[in-house]
Amino acid sequence: MLYLLSVVQLIFVVVFAPLVVGVFSKLCEIFESKQGPSIFQPYYDLYKLFRKQSVVPQVASPMFQIVPYVTFAMYLFLTLVLPIITGFPLSFGPVVDFIGGGLIFGAIAGLKKLAAIDSRNNYSHLGVSRASSIGALSEPILVLIFITFGVITHTNNPYVVNNVLQTSTSWYLSLVHWFVVFAFFMALIVETGKLPIESHTSNEFGMIDQAIEMEYSGRELALMKWGGYIKQFLLMSVFLNDFIFPFFVPMKVSLVAVLLYSLIHLVKLFVLVLIFATIQSTISKYKLFKNFEYVAVAFSFAFLAIVVFYATGGRL
Amino acid sequence: MFVYYLPFIVLVFASLLCVFKSDSLAAFVSVLSSLIVSVLSVIILLKPNVSASYLFIDGFSKIMVVLISFIYLTTVLFSLTYLKHVEKPLLKRNFYFLYLNLFVLSMLFSVVVKNLGLIWVGIEATTITSALLVAIDNDEPAIESAWRYIIIVSVGLVMSLVGVVFVYGACHTLDITKIALLKSANYKLLLLGSVFAITGFATKAGIFPLHTWLPDVHGRAIAPISAIFSSILLPVALFGVYRVLSSVEMSSLHLYAIVLGFLSVVFASIFLVNQKFYKRMFAYSSIENMGMILIGLALLNKYAFLGAVVLLVSHAFAKSSAFYSTGNVLNIYKTREVAKVKGMVERLPFTAYSLVFSGLAVTGAPPFGTFLGELLIAYGVYIKFGLFWVLVLATFLVIAFMSVNYKVARMAFSSSNFDRAEKVRMSAFVPLLNVTVSFVIIFLVGVIEKILMTGMIK
Amino acid sequence: MKELFVLVGFAEIVLVIFMQWQYYLKKIIVTFAISSLLIGLLLFVQGGLQNNTSLIVLAALTLLVRFFFIPYYMLSHLEKVYKEKNPKQVVSTGTSIVVSLLLVILAYVIYRLTLYRYISVEAGSIPIAIILQGIFLVISRNNAFVQLIGYMIMENSLFFMAGYMFPDLPFIVEAGILLDLLGLVMISGVVMKLREDSVSEVVDEFDEFRG
Repeated sequence: MLYLLSVVQLIFVVVFAPLVVGVFSKLCEIFESKQGPSIFQPYYDLYKLFRKQSVVPQVASPMFQIVPYVTFAMYLFLTLVLPIITGFPLSFGPVVDFIGGGLIFGAIAGLKKLAAIDSRNNYSHLGVSRASSIGALSEPILVLIFITFGVITHTNNPYVVNNVLQTSTSWYLSLVHWFVVFAFFMALIVETGKLPIESHTSNEFGMIDQAIEMEYSGRELALMKWGGYIKQFLLMSVFLNDFIFPFFVPMKVSLVAVLLYSLIHLVKLFVLVLIFATIQSTISKYKLFKNFEYVAVAFSFAFLAIVVFYATGGRL
Repeated sequence: MFVYYLPFIVLVFASLLCVFKSDSLAAFVSVLSSLIVSVLSVIILLKPNVSASYLFIDGFSKIMVVLISFIYLTTVLFSLTYLKHVEKPLLKRNFYFLYLNLFVLSMLFSVVVKNLGLIWVGIEATTITSALLVAIDNDEPAIESAWRYIIIVSVGLVMSLVGVVFVYGACHTLDITKIALLKSANYKLLLLGSVFAITGFATKAGIFPLHTWLPDVHGRAIAPISAIFSSILLPVALFGVYRVLSSVEMSSLHLYAIVLGFLSVVFASIFLVNQKFYKRMFAYSSIENMGMILIGLALLNKYAFLGAVVLLVSHAFAKSSAFYSTGNVLNIYKTREVAKVKGMVERLPFTAYSLVFSGLAVTGAPPFGTFLGELLIAYGVYIKFGLFWVLVLATFLVIAFMSVNYKVARMAFSSSNFDRAEKVRMSAFVPLLNVTVSFVIIFLVGVIEKILMTGMIK
Repeated sequence: MKELFVLVGFAEIVLVIFMQWQYYLKKIIVTFAISSLLIGLLLFVQGGLQNNTSLIVLAALTLLVRFFFIPYYMLSHLEKVYKEKNPKQVVSTGTSIVVSLLLVILAYVIYRLTLYRYISVEAGSIPIAIILQGIFLVISRNNAFVQLIGYMIMENSLFFMAGYMFPDLPFIVEAGILLDLLGLVMISGVVMKLREDSVSEVVDEFDEFRG
């Protein structure tokens, strides 16, 4: 049963990840009073890219070609261990906890950066240096958030976090939890490359993550993009299920409940995407060096969560 | 009983009359009220101590009241002529006197109230009423110094407000007589609150860690305001410190106050060596004297306490004389730098001598009351801490003495091209009067002691 | 009541951090108005719950002066001179945010190590943290408005502390304090205006207050 559900979850994520992105860009266009592309546009893009020829820089080493496959596989692995449509651990669930998941995300980012440096493209190098300097500051935020969760639930297991928040109203309403939610939301904007931090236009002033996959083409580019979609999907799901709205997630093993919840989960995702799209179309981009101030504020929220815990008399 | 409230009523009336747009009326009313208040303050000396619901007047309060009234009188007299030299005053003449009267009112209020919170209110009110007086010169540096004064002093006073709130939390009363008698207080919290309160009040008195506003303000305010600040505002703030110290008798707290006072003396003496501007120099000298007085008040020793009060009174007259003299110098020489003032003896004989004498007086030279005060405090230090610390303290006092008097002497006795004396004005006599009083204090030590001990002259 | 206290306290802390983040004076002033509103409402609720008339009067005065009058005065002043942007910072924004945060932790540590044993109010470190942040705001910005706001944040937190921890402070003292502070703000307003006028004579330093 658990194996079956794992497969269901894998397929669910891989299939619907591009859809979320499609909805997001459609909403952004609607906010700008344009008609916008179809919400299935990302699928068309991927289909097209898979049929295209790959071009590899002459100077690149074999790693450049391997990285897209490896990272895609790692994303697929992550989909198996996070609570996305189930509130109980699936077969691979016990393999890693939050910290482990964070490490795998970090490993993916590291591999991508290495490959980007390997491509010897100037813009890629620029993107790598920017992503690294922001990442160096935003990683501690995530670590702090996970530590706070450790404080709340005495564990770093995302499933347990989900269950605790779902069942305990006092934790759900506590100030500690909401500081964490806000900090993670700010970190989420950094991680998914949304507006005050990064704008996806074709000029190099604002690009960060976008520049990293500059030299890829054809199937490799498709995998990189798809991986990116999955990353966004996973982070959003984690934000929904472990932070802001942990309700309705089935805590008992039941195929019907899980299938039903996967529809609810899509609705939750679309609401979140609507929020993101609203932010995207109301806020202007920060100057690059002001990103660090943004990160500093996010860091303060994460840290304040712990201070709140102790200042209100919390004990481990 | 009524006589205790009379000075306040007089000052309120005087302030009200100052609102009318008549310069001569304001000046006249202020002179009159300062005269009446001075007379009343002497009458209060003859009355017994009072401890009413909000009023608490003991011997020290009475001395403070007399001091405030007399310096108020001389400041008003000096202002009458001095204000003509201010080119583009910030306030009209009547508003100047209005704020001055209110300033004196708030200071009188601070020294007679019984409630620690109200003492805080009074000292904070002195900031409000005096902030504009600092900026009366109406040029950029003066306004800037007023701004610094407001910000730094307010931060200090917020600190002392925290302290007062803590003291309340510990004792559940702010009545200074009750705090002293309290048996079952939360002592650690009380200690902490008192430390905060002392640090905050000491800010206003120019004691070491937050003294930085003082040289700026004294250096830039006009002479009568510098004088009234240095000679009574700082002691009033120290009086607040004393109220805390006397009601909370803990040896660690008193040691803390002594350390603060000692550090003030040390820093002020070191800064005095290299001062290029004469008003700033006297400002640092005030910091040094306040440090000495704080040591005396905190020592909990009969002699040291008497010494502190004598030093306080004598310093007030001497320092006001010094600042009045610097005002006269500034008017003639139009510079604040020591090096550019030469040959005062020929050009301004009266002012030159009053400056020299007051320079000697503020640094504790023998014929003046300050000498006796410092001697008594040094004796108190000797009893408590031994000879070594007395010598250390004396070394810094000597450094301060030499640097102030060397500079004053250079201003007064150096040769210059001028040999024609300027016309003598009334403003030249006020400082002479004050420095003489500072000398006469030495004969009044017995009276001061009697007032401190018994509360009145019999 | 305790939850409300903690909530408002941390909202204050966050608002100060937000002020450190902002470049525009207008936003800082509005943020300050919001923080005063929160304090005023807290005092009001507490006064209502404890049937303490003096607290309610205090709350009304706070709302009137801090929430309405002072921000209004400052904003109208801003429009006249058109000086929305905060010109000069002593400490860079990122650093000041982090320092502000560290002060919160410092306050907590100090409180736990010293005061907690004697007051035994759980969340007592919050007002201390806000006071420290206010002091830091005064130090870190070179602008008269922001310095004044920093100072008023300190006062706000004092009321916050006194109102919550020691609600039975004599009313005459509290009223005296409030009147004093009102007077202080008026006087600083005058001095601030003077500073502005004296500086604006020099065209080059038009939007520059000197500290």
